Amino acid sequence: MTDDQPVQKAPPLFLPHSYASTEFNKTGSWRYVRPFYDEKTSPCSAACPLGEDIAHVEHLVSRNLMAEARQTILIENPFPAVCGRVCFHSCESACNRAQLDESIAIHHLERFVGDLLISNERIAPLEAFPANGKNVAIAGAGPAGLAAAYFLSLLGYRCEVYEAMAAPGGILRWGIPTYRLPQDVVEKEISRIKELGVTIHCRTPVTGEMLNTFKTRYDAAFIGCGYGRAINLRIDGAQKAVDGLALLYRMRADEDISLTGNAAIIGGGNTAVDVARSLVRLGIDPVIVYRRQRQDMPAFDPEVQMALNEGVKLMALLSPIRIEAAGSRSANRQPLFSITLQKMRVSDTEISGRSRVVPDGDRTETLQVNHVITAIGAEPQAPWQRMPAGDFPSLNLSHCKLIHDGMPIACGGDLTNRIKSVSDAIASGKQAAIALDTYFKSGWDAVKETVADCQVGTGPAVSLAIYLGQARRSRNHHIVSYSEINTPYFKTASRVIAPVLSPADRIQSFLPVESTLSEEAALAESRRCFNCGICNSCDTCRLYCPEMSVRVEDTHRDINLDYCKGCGLCVAECPRNAMALKEETI
Amino acid sequence: MKQVTEGSQAVSEAVRLAKVQVIAAYPITPQTHIVEMISQSCANGALDARFICVESEHSAMAAIIGAASSGVRTFTASSSHGLAYMHELLHWSSGARLPIVMADVNRALGPGWNIWLDQTDSLSQRDTGWIQLYCEDSQDVLDTTLMAYRLAESVNLPVMVVLDAFFLSHTYEPIDIPDQKAVDTFLPPFSPRFQLDTANPAAFNQFVAPQAYMEMRYNIQLAMEQVPETYRLIAEEFEAVFSRGYQPVEALQCEDAEIIFVTAGTTVSTCRQAVDRLRHAGEKAGLLKLKMFRPFPIDSFRQVLNGKQKVAVVDRNCSFGASGIFAQELRAALYHAASPPKIYGYIAGLGGRDVTPQTIEAIYWQTKNDDNPGAESRWVGLDQQTVASWHN
Repeated sequence: MTDDQPVQKAPPLFLPHSYASTEFNKTGSWRYVRPFYDEKTSPCSAACPLGEDIAHVEHLVSRNLMAEARQTILIENPFPAVCGRVCFHSCESACNRAQLDESIAIHHLERFVGDLLISNERIAPLEAFPANGKNVAIAGAGPAGLAAAYFLSLLGYRCEVYEAMAAPGGILRWGIPTYRLPQDVVEKEISRIKELGVTIHCRTPVTGEMLNTFKTRYDAAFIGCGYGRAINLRIDGAQKAVDGLALLYRMRADEDISLTGNAAIIGGGNTAVDVARSLVRLGIDPVIVYRRQRQDMPAFDPEVQMALNEGVKLMALLSPIRIEAAGSRSANRQPLFSITLQKMRVSDTEISGRSRVVPDGDRTETLQVNHVITAIGAEPQAPWQRMPAGDFPSLNLSHCKLIHDGMPIACGGDLTNRIKSVSDAIASGKQAAIALDTYFKSGWDAVKETVADCQVGTGPAVSLAIYLGQARRSRNHHIVSYSEINTPYFKTASRVIAPVLSPADRIQSFLPVESTLSEEAALAESRRCFNCGICNSCDTCRLYCPEMSVRVEDTHRDINLDYCKGCGLCVAECPRNAMALKEETI
Repeated sequence: MKQVTEGSQAVSEAVRLAKVQVIAAYPITPQTHIVEMISQSCANGALDARFICVESEHSAMAAIIGAASSGVRTFTASSSHGLAYMHELLHWSSGARLPIVMADVNRALGPGWNIWLDQTDSLSQRDTGWIQLYCEDSQDVLDTTLMAYRLAESVNLPVMVVLDAFFLSHTYEPIDIPDQKAVDTFLPPFSPRFQLDTANPAAFNQFVAPQAYMEMRYNIQLAMEQVPETYRLIAEEFEAVFSRGYQPVEALQCEDAEIIFVTAGTTVSTCRQAVDRLRHAGEKAGLLKLKMFRPFPIDSFRQVLNGKQKVAVVDRNCSFGASGIFAQELRAALYHAASPPKIYGYIAGLGGRDVTPQTIEAIYWQTKNDDNPGAESRWVGLDQQTVASWHN
């Protein structure tokens, strides 16, 4: 353009425009439906035996708000580093993300936050309520008893734990091999409970008589002794077999078990797999003998898979009927046994999905091994540890039983739990703490309803955060389904793979098989989470609102009803179903 | 430097040289190459612009309206059904006085489903308040697109640059792609007369009562009336920089012509050839290239055609129930001329059917041998057997 000769002068534009505010126009008067923030329940949290606020924790991790993530986990579980390693993570099976690509590696993230807590001494424990003057005796320092002590301490109770073994931890300390759960992890998480003022009396087994004296010294008790005694085979020669659980205890007590050669492990549960994987690390050649099929094994499938990778053999559809000494000793000078095994066949399927098996005629086979180890289940050590029965009020809850025999007594852990897992044991300690606190505050009749009120989603897991009336209490119990997620907002991304030792390296030692995620990997994985039903401050509602009616203060959002005309865009666009519409009432 | 270039690329090169800041588009044959090449320029950094992928042409124009309202230089392209789908927002963009530039590749509308040349898509939009400029070849396309920004930003009206499907959009020919410095001299950065500004909040284009609406429309009409003269000045400047000139209406051998063709698009090139051949045969044929259709350059037409004998208009379009649209417009434009010529309308080459020099020559002879132009356009090259069968 030449400087002096602009093209023709344009006529002045005559356009509708105004510099006046449009705030006088209260478009909210047009509204007949109202959007509101309606946080719902994520399927992972509903599937977690502990009802952990997983979707919210992943959000906090993704924003690197580790202190908040820690608080959110610790209010529901004192053992994140333990559970991140040994929990069978039903949360991941429920994860909506699996329908887009792969589920979130929730247990890896829990382990990451748990380990962060352990390694960071400066992180203060949760603040407990002031002491309320009440004392609780707890029998058993396993996950159930320790959890009961933890949650009751948080609620202001003084707790004393009585433990038969030389150190607390129960199955965590004495049963689970260190390649799955290192001892220092257990000790550090237990020390968190001790820091709350819990006294643990070791080498002090509780007897039935002691329980009676407790009634004069304590206001309540929790019985979480677990299943300490193995169930024996009822076949000829059963006494020739060694108890698998006892073997694991001896290994964890650093006793020399001096086994060599090969071993048959009878059973299909986690103990059988733990024994087999431990023996393979000691140079023994183990074979698991199980009466049903592999897919029916109660052991967690990833554990079975890892055992097979490590060289453990599996013989399925075989049931022992006789154990005999095979006469001479084998070349390695170990005793030699001959097990006669009845071949089984599948007859039909149980309601639970497991196959039912029956003997396949009289077909048998024999197996010659140096050691026979049983792992077919356990039961309470002493008769009084069984569910107390008698003429007194009792209340069955999902993870514990409350009775009133001179004082309120809660039984939990393996004694009451349908699923005998670490997480369910911790859940029973939590549920018992809530039940006892409710009893003392509102009486026996309020317990059942209050516990139901604390359910996550449709239960059975209960939440202490809900019990305490924290923000989580206002959540809708509706469990968000995949179809309710606005999936176009999410890009597919592969699930993180935690560093894992090769099978060849694994069987050289009892060192942990899997490593904890790096911070970078954990943050990336947490960002994959849909945060189902949870507002993660993504601001999509605010960006889409045509009336700019979404107000944000700090992380809190609300709707300016003077201008919200109820178009529902915010609700339709929310990627994670954290909003809803309701009809206006006139 | 000359470069062998596809017609579509001539558009995308012009967009790059014009330093457009926001492009929003939805692909449609035969426009797709244009936006593909622009998105590539955005991706590889040749053009520092935001390319917005949208889910429809309606949204493309909506996004462009938003962008242009914020005071940036914008572009989109469409064709046929895509353009039809934009229709509502074409009215809005001109009413909002936004200097948007769009390329439309002339393509037939269905059914029957057809992707080839037909002018009905752009001509259906003649009353939307958009300036329409038709192009003859790839050089014309590139140059017109650059001039379109100057024109749009001078009068605050949107400009549609129109090019023929395939015959132009997908044909390669050598053209001069000017260097950036020269383009920058001709086309400075856009300086908006108004824009959305968070520092100075305002509402635009809100409710207007009958007391003011008419004046707003008259304001648009005044701006349109200024366009031919504004365009001439811009074209002069363009010629000064690039040595290529373009008139709203270009007359070729019209002074002594007895029959003058009027047409647009690539048909102009075909007509140039036919006129040469007719001149060699001693016939007094002439040609008027219709470049600017909106506003319709009435004065230019009157100047050239007043006192002439016959005009043959070749329309590759039809306003059903009336006639070819160019013919119709020309009749109206010349009605008040002192001595208007007879105007013969011909409809040819719809839906991509060829219009060859022979077709044009046949039109010439038909015009020469007929003294009654009639009110409607004549349909050229119909399959007589098919048509005859309808009357049996």
